[in-house]
Amino acid sequence: MTDEDRVMMDAIVVGGGPAGLAAAYTMAREGLEVLLVERGEYCGAKNVGGLVYGTVLNEMIPNAFEKAPVERPVSRRTMVFLGEREHIALDFGAEEWSRPPYNNTYIVHRSQFDRWFAEQVEEAGANLLEGMVVDDLIYESSNGTRKAVGVKIRGDEEFYASVVVLADGANSLVTEKARAELGFRQGRHKQDYAVGVKQILALPREKIEDRFQLEPGEGAAMDLFGAPFEGLIGGGFLYTARETLHLGFAARISSMTAAGLRPDDVLDRLKEHPVVHKLVRGAELMEYSAHMIPEGGYDAVGQLAGDGVLIAGDAAGFVNMSAYKEGTNHAMESGRAAGLTIIEAKKKGDFSRDTLSAYEQKLESSVVMKDLKQFRKVPEVLEGCPNLLSLYPKKVNRMLVDMFTCGPESKREIKKKAFRNFMKGLPKIRFVRDVVRARHLA
Amino acid sequence: MTESPENMSLADKLYRTKYEPDPAHPHIVVDEKICANCKDKVCLVICPAEVYKADPNDPKRVTVSHENCLECGTCRQACPFGAIEWLYPEGGKGVKYRYG
Repeated sequence: MTDEDRVMMDAIVVGGGPAGLAAAYTMAREGLEVLLVERGEYCGAKNVGGLVYGTVLNEMIPNAFEKAPVERPVSRRTMVFLGEREHIALDFGAEEWSRPPYNNTYIVHRSQFDRWFAEQVEEAGANLLEGMVVDDLIYESSNGTRKAVGVKIRGDEEFYASVVVLADGANSLVTEKARAELGFRQGRHKQDYAVGVKQILALPREKIEDRFQLEPGEGAAMDLFGAPFEGLIGGGFLYTARETLHLGFAARISSMTAAGLRPDDVLDRLKEHPVVHKLVRGAELMEYSAHMIPEGGYDAVGQLAGDGVLIAGDAAGFVNMSAYKEGTNHAMESGRAAGLTIIEAKKKGDFSRDTLSAYEQKLESSVVMKDLKQFRKVPEVLEGCPNLLSLYPKKVNRMLVDMFTCGPESKREIKKKAFRNFMKGLPKIRFVRDVVRARHLA
Repeated sequence: MTESPENMSLADKLYRTKYEPDPAHPHIVVDEKICANCKDKVCLVICPAEVYKADPNDPKRVTVSHENCLECGTCRQACPFGAIEWLYPEGGKGVKYRYG
């Protein structure tokens, strides 16, 4: 192919999730020629998620959430610690979370939300190519440096650009190849992945509002820990959408294989737990989905900028797995930072690694890497003590139930017994060590 | 409208998920030689869609039902021997989430 035949863009974005869409939107708004390639029939077709934080999107598109397909805001949050048959719940919320700006926390159906975002990106002037697969990048070498110059679309088509943004998600086959091809520096640790499985369950609106004690237009988000996830590094979630519930869990793949558990069985176990059962009973399954989550955190993030390439979103590993679980917002922030970096690079007319590494500096000073850094010990803590999220909830449950079990003994005896049960099989030193470690999680 | 996990098989559940089937293009290929010597076969357990099954005629072999794949990619990360070759399905094909 001669140079004149080449379709040449300013930037090509691989993947139409929140990272890729944010990158394309940012660049298209500034008049850059952008092509976004998404392998699904539409943006969102391969994406799974329930909770979206809106701070970044609201900065990009003012009042985005008044127009976006949002199911409910999160008016209440609940942390539920499940024993085998008992539970403790920590329930909190604020009236203002039910009013604009809704604490910037929303429950969405990601397939619909991402599709809407893609429409905004197209309106901003980017070219969307949906239902097309990028299998690899096109590389060229000059003066001893290897750089990316475009993408290979399955079926022999090629598109060229000054820079490629890789936003191909958690299962990032293109990023993997590009990292190897360009010799990117690895993170301190290997990336670790969790497998997440979810059911979308339909339930009439009034039933959802009654069961979760919500006014119309309010929503609830629950995090579930404990017995159903015994031995696993992971936990569950239950979110109220308008007329559906999201019920699911995610656990480190290595912990699942070590325990020999099937994801579907773990989700069934969660669904059958009395606490969950009472909330979802009678609901009809609408969709069963699975997705990976990169959980390695700060130390699993490797090089993000190279000659003609930037990596954003899940492909880069920007997920905060602390109690603040956050991924979509980081994806959008990183996509926006990638877009801004490319806009600057275009002004300079230089897309070398040197110029593009401004992206890495932008991220370091943004909430993405700041938060990842603050919680960098989370993966290590959870690996060092997989019991943290199952054993202790179970024990505290038992203790509370023991303490409030009505019986003939004096309260002093009851308390003593409850404490004895709590410490059973739990060396004091380990208990203290675990408590000290647990503070890294929030 | 009463559904409970007790009476729903995984196949029933997968039936609720929308796919754009593409039987002619399997996007997953396993390395038969490696799989034949693999004792643990974690893929049989870890896949949320049970894409991988032991061949009933030859339990050493692993069969792949790629049309059930939810495209999470977990199998690739879980296989300790790198025996799973995973390509993205053809454009627009495969799982098509309506809710996600």
